[in-house]
Amino acid sequence: MRRVASLTAGIVLVSACAAPISGSSEETSDSWPEIRSKARGQTVSLWMWGGDPQGNAYVDDVLAPAARQAGVTLRRVPVADTKEALNRVLAEKQAGRSDGEVDLVWVNGDNFATGVQADAWRCGWSSALPNMRFTDPDDPLLTEDFGMQVDGCESPWHKAQFTLVYDSARITDPPGTMSEVLDWIEANPGRFTYPAPPDFTGSVFVRQLLYTVSGGHENVPATFDQETFDELTPALWQRLRDLAPSLWRNGRTYPRDSVALDRLFAEGQLDMTMTYGPATLTELVEEGTFPPSTRVLPLEEGTVGNASFLAIPATSADHAGAMLVANLALSPTQQRIKADPRVWGQFTVLDESRLSGRDKADFDRLPDSPVVPSYTVLARHANPELASAWVPALDEGWRRDVLAEVQ
Amino acid sequence: MDRRGAVLVAPAVVAVLFVLGAGLGSAVLQSVGLIPLVGDPALQFTGYVGEREVLAAVGLSLLIASASTSVAALVGLSTALLLVGSGRGRRMLAALVTASIPVPHLVGAASVGLLLSDSGLMSRWLGVPAQAWPSLVAGAWPTAVIFEYAWKESAFVALVVSASLASRLPDYQETAALLGARPWARFRHVALPLATPALLAASAIAFVYTLGSYEVAWLLGAAYPEPLPVLSYRLFTSTDLTARPDAMAVAVMTTVIAGSVALTALALLRRTAAWR
Repeated sequence: MRRVASLTAGIVLVSACAAPISGSSEETSDSWPEIRSKARGQTVSLWMWGGDPQGNAYVDDVLAPAARQAGVTLRRVPVADTKEALNRVLAEKQAGRSDGEVDLVWVNGDNFATGVQADAWRCGWSSALPNMRFTDPDDPLLTEDFGMQVDGCESPWHKAQFTLVYDSARITDPPGTMSEVLDWIEANPGRFTYPAPPDFTGSVFVRQLLYTVSGGHENVPATFDQETFDELTPALWQRLRDLAPSLWRNGRTYPRDSVALDRLFAEGQLDMTMTYGPATLTELVEEGTFPPSTRVLPLEEGTVGNASFLAIPATSADHAGAMLVANLALSPTQQRIKADPRVWGQFTVLDESRLSGRDKADFDRLPDSPVVPSYTVLARHANPELASAWVPALDEGWRRDVLAEVQ
Repeated sequence: MDRRGAVLVAPAVVAVLFVLGAGLGSAVLQSVGLIPLVGDPALQFTGYVGEREVLAAVGLSLLIASASTSVAALVGLSTALLLVGSGRGRRMLAALVTASIPVPHLVGAASVGLLLSDSGLMSRWLGVPAQAWPSLVAGAWPTAVIFEYAWKESAFVALVVSASLASRLPDYQETAALLGARPWARFRHVALPLATPALLAASAIAFVYTLGSYEVAWLLGAAYPEPLPVLSYRLFTSTDLTARPDAMAVAVMTTVIAGSVALTALALLRRTAAWR
């Protein structure tokens, strides 16, 4: 199967080598009404990670019908990893196509940076979206994505906070800092593990631990350089190797992704799990996948936080429709419905002080979750994300110096 | 070979060569850095310099492919002999074999995962707690991966071998029996030589397929080491665009190993008595 696919890709590549590579960073000069009329009748394919049933249901049952009212058909394409969407775009770009399959991607961090590096995103459009007026233009989470300037190449969708999650029925005296978590792991061998990077969640756990081992996020420069990496990471790898024997299956293997980790937690094999989208916990507890005693573990020093975005590939033909959907996704109504823990529970990117009185009141009426504290509580002492160049370097280093060593 | 035959197969050969040549050619070019995704082309062979991870992948891939092919050949041959024999339950066996063939590997792998994992059906049926259950799925040894391939490929081997035996074996067996051959001698001197070409060909196909297949090892295997296709795909989808040549180098190596195995099998096949 894979061989066939790569062969076909090969032919496409060979035949496309001579084709000029289209420039992507063109400015969008159309006015908003023009974009709206162009968008009518277009079909927008939104490629997004499909591992979250609530997110899938929100897009299918709330966002897509709203887009249809504006004359745009929104089609959700689930992927196992955002890298798949990015790879599709890169292949289409290499083949010189301008009518690509991907119109909108839920993206952030290293995937966004890789796209920027390959000139694969349409840029200069998101700052012109009418609903951007409800966001804070100085919010660092929205102007920079893992240290990369957003520059109008993607529009914000949600905010997220990395959180550790524990079963309060099993852990009666939960640790309060990351160092205490490490002590707890060693005192309770076999009850903790993390997904193997490059899984998104496993990767952020390693970054969080880099902060801990380095004595706080202040000591890790956000921009990447090899020297700092070589200086800071040996202590991190050493700590993780020392930790390995206390992990699930003695750290000889790791769950391949956060879904596998959550399953181990749900089956009671682990006492802790972790997520970059704590919003989904409420639903997981309500439907009985996670025990009712599931709680978020607040850490004194705070955890890593970020925002995720919607980006339009340079190869998309239906970019007017994609812009319309991105603007719609940013509207106070959509952001409020999405923030409801019964719907998806994703934290809003809007600045509530910029909303109209009615919209603000609607946001205030959102129900509280028994499992997850509000974003303001979660994001207290939030740690910044590292520049995206750190991510693959840390992922690769982890495989080489932790995974391959502890066998 | 007569010339007419050569002319007749020419279109097929040209098409295959074009597809293979274009695909492999571009894979080789990418693997040595001549078609980079970003930056300028520059000849480099870093992907081929045996890193520990690549060597581990080669070892694991060969282990999975040879173990599962051996089991499949053994089980497949025995099943085929039962199928063309006159024993009871032949229909039932034939139905089982036929039913296994169209099950996609992905479905097979998911089912094996549900059956053999820590808190899977087997551990629950047998009342073994998850902590005490052996790590068959994603453990140090690729047990579940080999089990899945062996199961699927043994059905394939059985089908191919029984098809090649069905028309000939019963008569020969009968003659041999009339001449006084005992069951073991009938197997050793009649059934086995007749089955060898089909068995060899089917095993070679199973081996090469297993070597290049991705989804079963991805679902049921451990995070480290990874077999060649899983390693190649992880590098291919890495957000580090400069890892592309390494991914292609692993793919090219996989192709070379698969190609040599296929050629060896072909050479062996030509030597078997029943081939001529």
